[in-house]
Amino acid sequence: MYETDRNFVFPAFDWSLGDSHPEREERLLYTQEQLFEEGILDLPQIKQFSPRLASIREALRAQALFPTPGMHTDSLDAHLIAAGSAILLGEAQVRGDIANGFVLVRPPGHHSGATVWGNRGFCSINNEAVLVNHLRAHLGIKKIAIVDTDVHHGDGTQDIFYHDPNVLFISLHQDGRTLYPGSGFVNEKGGPNAWGQTINIPLPPGTGDEGYHYVLENWVLPRIQAFAPDLIINSAGQDNHFTDPLAAMNLTADGYGRITELLQPDLAVLEGGYSIEGALPYVNLAILLALAGEDYHHVREPQKLDRPVLDLATLKPYIEGLKKQQQTLKPNFTIQNKAFFPKGNWIYSPHSVYYDTEGFQENRHDYIRQCSHCAGTVYIESQRAPFPQKSILIRIPFQACSECEQAGYDLWDHLIHQSEDTASGLLQNQLHDKLSVWQRKEGLKEF
Amino acid sequence: MSNQVGIDVGGTYTDAVYIQDGYIQHTAKVPTHSENIVETVLEAFEKLKIIDENSIDQINVSTTLVTNAILQERIPPVKLLLFSGKGMSVDALPWPVHYLELSGEMDFRGREIEPPDQREWQELQLSEQGENPIHVAIVGKFSHRNCLHEQQLAAYLKKLNPTWRIALGHEWGQANFYRRSLTTYLNLGVSDLYQQFARQLQTAVAARNIKAPIFILKADGGILPLAKIRPIDSIYSGPAASVLAALTQNEPTDSSIIVDIGGTTTDIGLVLSGVPLFGSKGAQIGPFATLVRSLAVRSIPVGGDSVVRATDQGFSLESYRVGPAYCLGGTEPTPTDAMRYLGLIDYGNEQLAEAGLASILPPNRRTPEFLHKLAGAILDTMVDRIAAAVDSLKREWQEEPAYKVWEVLHPHEDQAFRTLVSGGGARGVSKALGKRLRTPVQLGYYSEISNALGAAMARPTFDCTLHLDTYMKRYRVEETGEQGKWTGSLRPYQEVDKFLDSLVQQQAAHYEFQTEDIEKEPFDFFPIVQGYKTVGQIVRGAAHQRPGVIGRVHV
Repeated sequence: MYETDRNFVFPAFDWSLGDSHPEREERLLYTQEQLFEEGILDLPQIKQFSPRLASIREALRAQALFPTPGMHTDSLDAHLIAAGSAILLGEAQVRGDIANGFVLVRPPGHHSGATVWGNRGFCSINNEAVLVNHLRAHLGIKKIAIVDTDVHHGDGTQDIFYHDPNVLFISLHQDGRTLYPGSGFVNEKGGPNAWGQTINIPLPPGTGDEGYHYVLENWVLPRIQAFAPDLIINSAGQDNHFTDPLAAMNLTADGYGRITELLQPDLAVLEGGYSIEGALPYVNLAILLALAGEDYHHVREPQKLDRPVLDLATLKPYIEGLKKQQQTLKPNFTIQNKAFFPKGNWIYSPHSVYYDTEGFQENRHDYIRQCSHCAGTVYIESQRAPFPQKSILIRIPFQACSECEQAGYDLWDHLIHQSEDTASGLLQNQLHDKLSVWQRKEGLKEF
Repeated sequence: MSNQVGIDVGGTYTDAVYIQDGYIQHTAKVPTHSENIVETVLEAFEKLKIIDENSIDQINVSTTLVTNAILQERIPPVKLLLFSGKGMSVDALPWPVHYLELSGEMDFRGREIEPPDQREWQELQLSEQGENPIHVAIVGKFSHRNCLHEQQLAAYLKKLNPTWRIALGHEWGQANFYRRSLTTYLNLGVSDLYQQFARQLQTAVAARNIKAPIFILKADGGILPLAKIRPIDSIYSGPAASVLAALTQNEPTDSSIIVDIGGTTTDIGLVLSGVPLFGSKGAQIGPFATLVRSLAVRSIPVGGDSVVRATDQGFSLESYRVGPAYCLGGTEPTPTDAMRYLGLIDYGNEQLAEAGLASILPPNRRTPEFLHKLAGAILDTMVDRIAAAVDSLKREWQEEPAYKVWEVLHPHEDQAFRTLVSGGGARGVSKALGKRLRTPVQLGYYSEISNALGAAMARPTFDCTLHLDTYMKRYRVEETGEQGKWTGSLRPYQEVDKFLDSLVQQQAAHYEFQTEDIEKEPFDFFPIVQGYKTVGQIVRGAAHQRPGVIGRVHV
């Protein structure tokens, strides 16, 4: 019925992380003014959808809300609306109701990872991850590529899909040595069962349209083509724009239009971007026009780009070197089996996550069952410092083999009956779309 | 209550009604002499037989005059000059008229990005055509935030020739450059025609020595004084009037589905807790997308006289009319024949109805059993089409974009509706319609003069939407296009509430009516931040007097 429609949604004008916080009510106000004034809704191929709320269950399918979901729900409404809106447009796209869609929502989500103790990098719920797992659970989608063009490393999305061979995650960002969250280097390349399915492309500050498009055309697009995904999602952060107050890249609104044109995403999901007057109205307009197949070259931000842009001749050798380094990197994993682990080789990877919004640290011990048949069961011990109690995430992946599924249930059984230093846990059985939350005091709850 | 006259000046007929304290006293139907409105209105008054015309308190008029002039392309040319700026290409949207783009650009806060280029103005070719004065519409992107460029060019042109008729886009203060341009164009284009109509009305009323004020019905179902209405706002007052007519026969807080079944078309409207549903966009008229606020009404091409045609599968209900129903002397079978055959209506010839229906069936099936089944199936088909339009209207309401967390958490909930059916085929389909829509059904009266009735009982409507930018120290009012300087504080709270009240009072005084049950929307406050410091606020707020009727009408 709506063969050629493109859609967008627009919620959360009454939510902010704080009065003068970059993630505030004003952030999409001028974008709304620009789009409505342009008469974008009068383009026959564009429709605006009303947002919907994601359920806690839909969030749990991608992320563990620690210590328990119940301790989050009061503050999650705006985040769940952003995630729900992603699901709404994702479903419409997969069903063929729309050609593509722009999930024009705030708050963003790509810094929110597999385990969530609170808000970090303005994100609490990972909109793309919730969407991706919903589509896989309900709409038969198998292979998905996520290209994160936010200026910050999409560390949360990377964390959620790091062990998943069916999700190709590519993040282009300003080099982590110069910007939050300080990760996203080429050696972060995926877990033992998904090696090479995470690609990080850290770009030097000052990179502009030309350099960015070069990377897309010569690295990102061929990689996506080789993967042949069912769906391409663009985490469309807008903070590469030369006016962004938090970053140091040099992209223009026109450059963003071209990114969209090159990627041809089935869905674009807004991430960051905090030049709310100088960039967002124009970048959002250019992206929407490019998605709608309209000419975006007439979109021009009022401010002129008058700082030096890294020229392609300088950038090219750097990019080629990076690419070579990334492609030749060999895996180097540590096997560490705990006494109660089911049989198999479990790869151990410890790391910590800093929650900048509230200022605390999460310590993580991740274990992945090496498997040549499926994505492998994941066992994550997580602890919010300085508290001693642990919460645990056990994930049985989509298309899990029977051994990995059994391993997941053995771990779950051990957690509930024998683990004494654990306060709570989540079992994500993606294979059968079953979600169980366990809490020492209140017992088991199915979601 | 009071003594109201409602007149609906249609393309073919002019209907009138006289209502005294909620009781319909007389109705009249006279042919419209489009070249002589004075005579038409005088004839209508003659037929109304009002004993004491001095006792009339108010005359409300609805008219299709402007609508028809636009649809029949009878409007004089208007020169459209655009400050289109950067952004989406202007030609991405379909423009039914010519335009000229000029340099000069504003942004969303009303800041000047690029000043106009006066050299371009000197090259403008604005030559007189015949005796008509030149009409010029000037519209800038974001002129609803800052009208400076429009005013500069208008002043320049006025100096060249003070007789030129110039209209500025910012007077339509809502967002949407494209619609603002076309609305400004149309309003200017129909203004002469409308002024002439207004003069004729006044002449006719004066000729009968009636002192009562004249009001005109708008697309949003409200009335405004003859001299104060913007002509383009009078389009589509017909469907609005039929929704209002239904309100006069309804409990004031009911939610209802309004179905008006005509010969060829059926109009469908929705009333939610007593307030008619508005279209989410401005009205579309012919090829013109406008900012005219109008009620959400669906017109579908199915009616009592729609042709029923035999097909291999049985029959099909066509979307055209050939003439009256078979049972009323027509040549084609219609839903009216089905109604007559089933005894749901009592007009028309019963034998003819049967013969008409029989012609659809193969000869061996022309038995009462099959005829009965066929008649039922025809009505079900008709009801299905009406129900589909009702569903689409309800969807439009339920899918209205929400922008706030609160709105998403509190979606439109399904309400208990009742259905009000009027028109020729009303009695015939009421049962089937009630069953299909699963609502109680009530029959509407006076459907032959419902537009005049709705107009007679309409009350003024009123919207005042404030956009205030305390950092830029400017405020704007969407509905009037008023732009002014804000002298209040950077972070106003109660102050802005009082300010809105004063704007409402000013506007009410301008339109010469008393404000009653003004409904205010909660204010939206957007802190404006520069470098982590709050430097001001954008405040949005609105007050409305929703469309409605002044009371119920008794049969």
